Amino acid sequence: MKQHLGRQSGVQNVEVSLLDGKVEVTPKGDGQIDPAQLLKATYDSGVTVAEMDVTVRGKVVKDFSGNFGLQPEPNRSFVFAPNELSNGLESLVDSQTVVTVRGQLYKKSAGKKKPDPSAPLKLLILEVQKKE
Amino acid sequence: MQWKNLALLALLGLLIAPAAQAQIKHIEMRVEGMT
Repeated sequence: MKQHLGRQSGVQNVEVSLLDGKVEVTPKGDGQIDPAQLLKATYDSGVTVAEMDVTVRGKVVKDFSGNFGLQPEPNRSFVFAPNELSNGLESLVDSQTVVTVRGQLYKKSAGKKKPDPSAPLKLLILEVQKKE
Repeated sequence: MQWKNLALLALLGLLIAPAAQAQIKHIEMRVEGMT
């Protein structure tokens, strides 16, 4: 699995801990990494992803549907799964403030083995680490 | 005139820099079925 994930675009390093079932992925400096692709690659390597957490830095944006989200790259944004922390960031929309958050992008549904690649990943913010 | 251009460049840099630094910094997965 380590080699399989290491070959994915934008991946710099992969650390696997067999004891606690944790996989840590360090993106390359440009941050051009696709979490959905990683989910699929992990599944393809024969294991099931129970949870995926990310630390991401970007601007708060509002999409055409009125959903708030974080935009780490010009062509990608993660829509917030609404909670108290995401509500607190909504006032920063369209500002120059860059925030760093830790959040959950994926959690396996009960009884479901394979992640649905067509389902958009929503960012459930667990911690706001920095506002700049 | 040159000073004006330099000031505009500096302003542009300030506006672009935060966006350029935006990125996914770390990913952690909890997996099942790993042997």
